[in-house]
Amino acid sequence: MSVPVGDYVALASVMFFIGVIGVVVRRNPLVMLMAVELMFNAANLLLVAFARLWVANAGHIFAFIVITVAAAEAAIGLAIIVTTFRPEKYVDVDDVRTLHG
Amino acid sequence: MAHVLGVSGSYPMLVALWLLPLAGAILCWTFGPQLRTAAGWLVCALVGASFVLAVLSWHDGTQAVSGALGAHQPLFSWMPGFDFGLLLDPLSLLWTFVISGVGFLIVVYSVGYMEGDRAFARFFAYMSFFIFAMLTLVLSDNFVGLLVGWGLVGLASYFLIGFWFERPTAVAAARKAFVINVVGDVGMMFAVFLIVANVHSIGFGDTFAAAGTLGSGLVFAICLALFIAAAAKSAQVPLHTWLPDAMEGPTPVSALIHAATMVTAGVYLVARCAPLWNVSHDAQLLVGTIGGLTALLGAILGMAQWDIKRILAYSTMSQIGYMIMGVGVGAYEGGVAHFFTHAFFKAQLFLGSGLVIHALANEQDVRRMGGLWKKMPFAFWVMLAGVLTISGIPPFSGFFSKDEIIYGALAHGHPWLYAVGIVTAGITAYYMFRLLFIAFLGEYRGDAHIHTGGTAAMIMNVPVAILVAPTVAIGGALMFGGEASPWAHYFAPLFGAPAVPSTPVATPAISEGLTSLLVLVAVAIGLVIAWMRYATAAAQRDAVLRLAIESERMPALLTNLFYFDAAIDLIFVRPAQAAGRFFGQVLDPHVLDGAVRDIVAGTRWFGTLVRSFQTGLLRAYALILVFGAACFIAYYALTGGVH
Amino acid sequence: MGLVLVTILLPIAAAALLLLLPRDDTTLSRIIGTLVAVVTFATVIAAGTGEWSAHWLSRPFNAAFHFGATPISFWIALLLTICTASAIASCRIDRTRDFVALLLALEGTMLGLFLARDLLVFAFFWDLMLVPVFFGLLGWGGHPATAWRYFIYNFAGGLTLLLATAAFGVIVGTTDVIGRAGTPLVGGWAPWIYAGFAFAFLVKTPVWPLHTWMPPTYSSLPSPMVAVVSAVQSKAGLYGFLAIATVMLPAYVREYATPLIVLGAISLVYGAVIALVQNDVKRIVAYSSLSHLGLIIIAVASQQQLALDGALVYIVAHGLFSATLFLVLGYVEEREGTRALQRLGGLGWTNPRLSGALCIAALAALGLPGLAGFAGELIILIGLYQAGYVWPAIVALVAIVLASAYLLRLYQDVMNGPERADLPVRPDLTLLEGLAIAPLLAALVLVGVYPTPLLTHQNLVAAQRIAPP
Repeated sequence: MSVPVGDYVALASVMFFIGVIGVVVRRNPLVMLMAVELMFNAANLLLVAFARLWVANAGHIFAFIVITVAAAEAAIGLAIIVTTFRPEKYVDVDDVRTLHG
Repeated sequence: MAHVLGVSGSYPMLVALWLLPLAGAILCWTFGPQLRTAAGWLVCALVGASFVLAVLSWHDGTQAVSGALGAHQPLFSWMPGFDFGLLLDPLSLLWTFVISGVGFLIVVYSVGYMEGDRAFARFFAYMSFFIFAMLTLVLSDNFVGLLVGWGLVGLASYFLIGFWFERPTAVAAARKAFVINVVGDVGMMFAVFLIVANVHSIGFGDTFAAAGTLGSGLVFAICLALFIAAAAKSAQVPLHTWLPDAMEGPTPVSALIHAATMVTAGVYLVARCAPLWNVSHDAQLLVGTIGGLTALLGAILGMAQWDIKRILAYSTMSQIGYMIMGVGVGAYEGGVAHFFTHAFFKAQLFLGSGLVIHALANEQDVRRMGGLWKKMPFAFWVMLAGVLTISGIPPFSGFFSKDEIIYGALAHGHPWLYAVGIVTAGITAYYMFRLLFIAFLGEYRGDAHIHTGGTAAMIMNVPVAILVAPTVAIGGALMFGGEASPWAHYFAPLFGAPAVPSTPVATPAISEGLTSLLVLVAVAIGLVIAWMRYATAAAQRDAVLRLAIESERMPALLTNLFYFDAAIDLIFVRPAQAAGRFFGQVLDPHVLDGAVRDIVAGTRWFGTLVRSFQTGLLRAYALILVFGAACFIAYYALTGGVH
Repeated sequence: MGLVLVTILLPIAAAALLLLLPRDDTTLSRIIGTLVAVVTFATVIAAGTGEWSAHWLSRPFNAAFHFGATPISFWIALLLTICTASAIASCRIDRTRDFVALLLALEGTMLGLFLARDLLVFAFFWDLMLVPVFFGLLGWGGHPATAWRYFIYNFAGGLTLLLATAAFGVIVGTTDVIGRAGTPLVGGWAPWIYAGFAFAFLVKTPVWPLHTWMPPTYSSLPSPMVAVVSAVQSKAGLYGFLAIATVMLPAYVREYATPLIVLGAISLVYGAVIALVQNDVKRIVAYSSLSHLGLIIIAVASQQQLALDGALVYIVAHGLFSATLFLVLGYVEEREGTRALQRLGGLGWTNPRLSGALCIAALAALGLPGLAGFAGELIILIGLYQAGYVWPAIVALVAIVLASAYLLRLYQDVMNGPERADLPVRPDLTLLEGLAIAPLLAALVLVGVYPTPLLTHQNLVAAQRIAPP
C-alpha cells in the first residue's frame, strides 16, 4: 500500500515554507542554517518520491548529492558564523552589515 | 607652340648653378658663428659663380634641336607621370640671369648694408636660400617643382621680411605675407589637381601639348587657379596687401625679393603657361583686367605714401600690374621685357633709397629728408636715373618695355586697358618725381646726422653704380626696333607668332608711334604737376608746413589703403577667430565633452540606484530571493509551464 | 625568422630589466633605453618582411601568434623606433628610470600591434598599449581624471574591436588574416563587424566628435611620451583602416564613405580653427593633429589608389613632424617653465638652434612644399580630386591656409618678438637634444623630396584590393 504522491508533495511544501519563513524571520544564523537544511530536505523528499513514482534512480542519486552539498554547506556556514561572531556575545545577522552597498 | 620641352640630356652646369646657392645657405646656417663676415663674401662668390654658369649655359638654353628648345635635365621620379627635372629655355634663362646677376649685385651691396648686424650670417643664409628657391621655381620642368619653388621663395621672403624679428611689426608683416602666399600656393595646388586629373602628368610639356584638347572651360579653371597663385605672389588686387608691409625687411631684401625677382614670379607663371592662356580668351581678359586694375590702384596708392620704401613698394605693385596686364592680354614679349627692365631699375631705386636710409640711420619718412642732393650726390644721381627710367622717359629702358605693353593691350583688342595704361604712366611719373623732389630738393628737414663714407658705403656704392648701366641702357640696346630687335629675335622661337585672339581685331586705330606720344604727354603732365607742387621755389619755402598740411588732408580712402586690410580682417580673420573661440571654449568642453560627462554621470546615477538594493541585511536578501522564486512559480502556475 | 619576435620582445624585456637599476638612476637608464631603441630600429630593418608564427587557438576559431611587417606597417614600425629613440635620448624628467621603462614598454606593445598579422593579437596589443600611457598620465601628467578619460575612451574602442574580432573569427574561421589577400566579408554580421572596427579606429585616431580625450591627454603627457603617442599611437586607427578595414571589409568602407568623409572634413576645419586661438602650445599641436589626421580619414574613405598611397606618406610625415614639434616644445617648456603663448616670446635670439628646429617642424606641419607634409597632402589631394571628391579637397585646401596661420602663430609667438625680461635665459639646444631630433628633421626632408619608397610599398598592397569603382 503506497502513499499517494500528492501527500509527499503536500508534506514537502509544508517543510519548504517552514524553511523559508525560518530564513526570513529568524535572526539567529544557526537557526537560519537549520531552516535552509529544512528546505533542502523538502527538495530531497520530492526527488525521492518522484523517483519512486517514475522508477528512475536518478532522483535517488540527486538526493545523495544534495545531502553531500548540504553537509559541506553547513560546515562552511558554521565556520563563517564562528569567525564572524567570535567577538560577539549574541549571534544576530542584522548586526552584520559590512556588505551593504 | 611646339617648342616647349628642352633637349633632354645631362647638363652638369645647370645642376651646379641651381645647387650652388643652396650650398651657400647650408654653409652659412651650419657655420654661421665661425664664418662671421666671411659669410657674406662666401655667398657673393657662390651666387657670382651661379651667374657665370648661367652665362656659360647660354648655348644650352637657346639651342633648338628638332623642335625642342633649350636644355632639359631629368632628375628623379616619384611615380609614373610624376617626373621631376630642370628646364632651361629662353624664358627661364632670362629669369636665371636676373636672379643670379642682379642677385649677385644685391648680395654684394648687402655686405655693406648689413655690416655689424648681430645676425649677419643668418641674413646671407636666407639670401642664398632665396636665390636657390627662386632658381628652383624658374628651372622646374613641371608644376609640382614649380610649386615647390613657389612655396620656398615664399618661405625665404617670410624669413627676410621678419629678419629683424624683435620688431612686432616685422613679425606681423612676415606672417601676413606668408599666409597670403599660402593662399596662392593652394591655388596652384588646385591647378595641379586639375592638370593631373586630366593630363595624368605634372610636366609642362605634356600639359601644354594637351592644352588644345582640354576644353575651354577646363583650361579657364586651370588658368584661374594658377592666377590665384600668380596674384598672391605678384601682389595683384585683392591679394596685394602683404607687399607694402613686406618693406619691414632690410632694404636689400626689398630690392631683390620684393622688386626684382620673387614678385615677378606671377609674370613668369603666366608667360610660362602661355599655351594655356592662348586657349582661353576669358582667362586672358581676367588676367589683363586684374593687371590693369593693380597698375592703376598701386599708382594711386603710391601718390599717398610718405615712407620712401612704401612708395617704391606701391610702384612695384603698379609696375607688376603692367607686366601682368601685358602677359595677360597676350603681349608676352612686352610683359617679360618690362620684367627685365624693371628688375634693374627697381633694384636700383631700392638700393639707392637704401643708401639714403643707411646714411640717415634708418629714417624712411621723406618728410624728414629734403636737400639730400647736396649731401649725397651719388645717391641723387642713381635715384634720378631710376626715376627717369620708371617714368618711361625715352631713351631710358622703361620707355621701351612699358610702351610695348600699353600698345600690346590695344593691339590685342583691349582699349580700356590701353587707356588705363596711359593714365597710370602719368600717375607713375607724378609720384616718382614727387618722391625725388621731396627727398632730394630743398632744405634738409630731418634731425638725424647724415653719415656717409666708410667701407660699408664703398661696398654699397659699387653694385649701385654697376646697375646704372643696364637700368638706363638695356631697353634701348635690346628692345629698339620692334619686330627686328634682338629681344624679339630671342623670344621668337619661344612665344612664336603673337597669340591670336578669338575675335580677330582690325589694325588698331592708333599707331605705335602715336601711343608713345600719348604716353609721353601723360608723363609730362604728371611730371609738371609734381614740379609745381614740390619743386618750385614757392613750394620749397615752408616745405615742412606744406607737407604736414598735405598729410593732414589726405583722403581717408587713401590713408586706409582702400580698406582692403580692414575688409580681409572683417571677412576672414575675425570670423575664423570667433569660430575658434566658440568651438574651443563652448562646443568642445561643454557640448562634445559634455556628452561624455553625461555618460559618466548616467553611469554613476545608475550605480547609486542599484547600490540602494545592497542593504547588507542577509534577511532582506533572503526575502528578495523568496520573492523572485515566488514570481517564477506564479509564472509557471499561470502559464502552465513549459512544453 | 625569429627576428621579428626579438623586435617586439626586446623593448618589453628591457623595460622590465631597467627596473633592476637603482630607483634614482637617470643617465644609465637613458643610455640603455636609447641603445635598446636604436637596436630595435636596426632589427626592424633587418627583419624586413620576415614572419614568425606560433599556434594559439583552434576553437572557436583559428588564431596564431603571428608577427611580421607588412609593407605598410614596416614604415610605421620604423617611424615608431626612430621616435622612441629620439624621445628617450633627450628626456630629462624626474623618476627617469621608470619613465624610460614605460617608454620602452610603449614601444614594445605598439610594435606588437603594428607587426601583428593576426587580428586577435592586434586586438590584444591594442589594449595593452594603453597601459604605459595610462601610467604615464597618472605618474607624470597631472590630473588622474585625464588618465581615466584616456583609458576608458580608448578601452571602449578596444572593446568594440575585440567584439568585432571575435565575430569576424567565428564567421571566417580564422583571425590570422592581416596582410593576406582573402575574400572580403559581405552580408550578415559584416556591417556590424565593420562598425566595431570603425568605432575603435575613429576613437583612436581621433576624429570629431570622439576627440575630446585627446587635447587634455596630449597637453598633460610629458613631451617625450606625447611625441611617441601622437606620432605613432594615433596611427593605430589609420593603420587599422588601411590594413584591416579596406582589405577585409572594402564594401562597407565604400558604402559608409560619406559619413567618414564628413567627419574627416569637420575634423580638418574644426581642429584648425580651434588651433588658431589656443594658448597652450601643446594644445595647438594637439588640435592641429585632429585637423591633419582628418585628411587621412578622408583619404581612407575615398578608397582611391593614389589617396591611399598618399595616406601612408602623410601618416609617416605627420608622425615625424608631430614628434619633432612635441619634442622641441618640450625643450622649450623645460627651459622656460611655461607653455603659455602669452608668456613666451623672443627666444630666437638666445636659442637660434632651438628656433630653427621648431621652425622646420612647423613648416613641415603646415605643408611647406619640399618637406614631408607637402608630399603627403599633395598626393592625397590629387587622389581625392581624381576620385571626384572635389569638395573635401577644397576643404582641405582651406585647412592648409589655416594651418599656415596657426603654426606661424605658434612659431612666432614662441621664438620671435622682443626678448622677454621675465623669462629665464637658458642655453641653446644641447648637442644631445640636437642629435636626438636630427634624424627626425632629416627624415622630414628626405620624405618630402623623395617619398617614392613609401608609395611603391603601398602600391603592392593596394594591388591586392578590388579596384575602386
